[in-house]
Amino acid sequence: MSQNIDLSVIIPITERHDNIQELYYEYKKAVEQTSLTYEFVYVMDGPFPDLNEELTALKDKGEKLKVIMLAKWFGEATALKIGFENTSGELIMTLPAYQQVDSSELPRLVHSIEGQDMVVARRWPRKDSALNRLQSNVFNFLMRLQTGVELHDLGCSVRVFRRRVIREVEIYGDLHRFLPVLANRYGFKVLEVKTSQSQKDMFQRIYSSGLYVRRLLDLLSVMFLIKFTKKPLRFFGLVGMGTIFVGAVATAYLIMERLVFDMSLADRPALMISSLFIVLGAQILSIGLIGEIIIFSHSKQLKEYTIDRIIN
Amino acid sequence: MYEALVNALDPLELQYELIFVDDGSRDDTYKIANNLAIADSRLRVIKFRRNYGQTPAMAAGIDNARGKVLITMDGDLQNDPKDIPNFLKKINEGYDIVVGWRYNRQDKLVSRKIPSKIANWIIGKVTGVPVKDNGCSLKAYRRTLIQEIPLYSDMHRFIPAMASLSGARIAEIKVQHHSRVFGESKYGLWRIYKVLIDLLSIKTIVSFASRPLIWFSILASVASTISLAAFGYWVVVPSLDPNGSILMMMGVSMLFGCLAIFMLLSGVLCELIYKTGDNKIEDLSKLTFKL
Repeated sequence: MSQNIDLSVIIPITERHDNIQELYYEYKKAVEQTSLTYEFVYVMDGPFPDLNEELTALKDKGEKLKVIMLAKWFGEATALKIGFENTSGELIMTLPAYQQVDSSELPRLVHSIEGQDMVVARRWPRKDSALNRLQSNVFNFLMRLQTGVELHDLGCSVRVFRRRVIREVEIYGDLHRFLPVLANRYGFKVLEVKTSQSQKDMFQRIYSSGLYVRRLLDLLSVMFLIKFTKKPLRFFGLVGMGTIFVGAVATAYLIMERLVFDMSLADRPALMISSLFIVLGAQILSIGLIGEIIIFSHSKQLKEYTIDRIIN
Repeated sequence: MYEALVNALDPLELQYELIFVDDGSRDDTYKIANNLAIADSRLRVIKFRRNYGQTPAMAAGIDNARGKVLITMDGDLQNDPKDIPNFLKKINEGYDIVVGWRYNRQDKLVSRKIPSKIANWIIGKVTGVPVKDNGCSLKAYRRTLIQEIPLYSDMHRFIPAMASLSGARIAEIKVQHHSRVFGESKYGLWRIYKVLIDLLSIKTIVSFASRPLIWFSILASVASTISLAAFGYWVVVPSLDPNGSILMMMGVSMLFGCLAIFMLLSGVLCELIYKTGDNKIEDLSKLTFKL
């Protein structure tokens, strides 16, 4: 296509989805109100033969959309990246394959990108069930605690951003959820906009406990990546030395008891536990050292800074 | 600052460029620098998208520099550009790195100068590079050398130590120091912890990166010693004191024995990591050999 595209709409399809054709027409109506030239890109994260048919049917009717199907499940972040590589718009908008936000709000969201690098929607006021809201609040609160970034609805996939954001920010696996946080970390201007929640976003989110664990682990790894990428020893050192310290103090205390109070040292478990702490701390420290060696061995390819521009 | 530099450098009749790195400054600094750069194409400005810290700023400047010799300086006029010719002289004498030594430090004695002296002594002993003033930003480097030295995360203080990996010839010269006019420096417990931990990293890298097994073997031997001591206790005490108990000692001995094995295996792992990495210390020898 030779036309210049302003807005590329990427819709990753992972697990659940609403009626694809209906959703497409809704989104299309909203996007057309922005008076920008647009294209739609659907990326299916794994084989979805029925959806493929439906989308191809739409395409045959002459709708402006591309359909990409990944051969197997790779993760929404990967789907996003592939979608991005197949677009040419200066602005990118990601939309979920199900209703989250009132479509009529989308034009307002798009126009809010003025002067910002990224705009994320926050579903407010919330209309869904208390359980959903509770999970959402806890997760977002933890994230705010760890990263200090003021975002309230990371579960909302409705986002608009400039091309260079996704070009520079590295995400993989399930980390697409944290794209605004990472973008902020890279120095991009991120704005959160209160958007009214769609009536249809009532999906009861009761997940398996495995999912909760995964989310928490994602949170941990994001926090770790943000704070300690270049100096793992700082993190492991703190934990390791703290553990050794606890163990050493306890051991010293026990030895003191033996020498001063003649309390036996070796026939109760206390010594074992205190030694265990020392050993654990030393192991954690060692892992930190291994981390340092890893960073050093790859330091040629890791660029720490992001340059906005160079003059002359 | 620009004026001081230009005044000091113009008389030398050298082709030079100035690189200012804007590390996320929030005042008018960028605007002023921008205007200066438009007027004088010898001034280049690198603007970061947000604040990253001193080391990335230095790294960006170094990566984008084009001259044969690089000079790094403080951005707050603590260093004097008039010292630059002395640095160039030393480089021409054949040195690869020249570091400044703030001879007449204009700082408070107890809170700045004494901790600094202690820190520098420790750093010198640990890294084996006895630089008298690690905190002095005014340094000169050969570009071909410094662009190959790994520099990340607060390592700017340890550049001479990292550079010593390549066998660089280091010289030290006295420089003038002007007291800090703007800004406050932050110290505190976390900062001290960071410096100590960084020192441990640097020591590991500088001394052992190419032979990590040796470092881990040293650590493992400490663990083994404890293990053997506990084992000895287990063996000896029953004969000395029949009522004494030695129950746990076997357990403790095995625990530390396991730790020793763990460390040895970590060392082996690091050997693998180093071998498959792209940062080989041996390659640095190419930068400094003399024909």
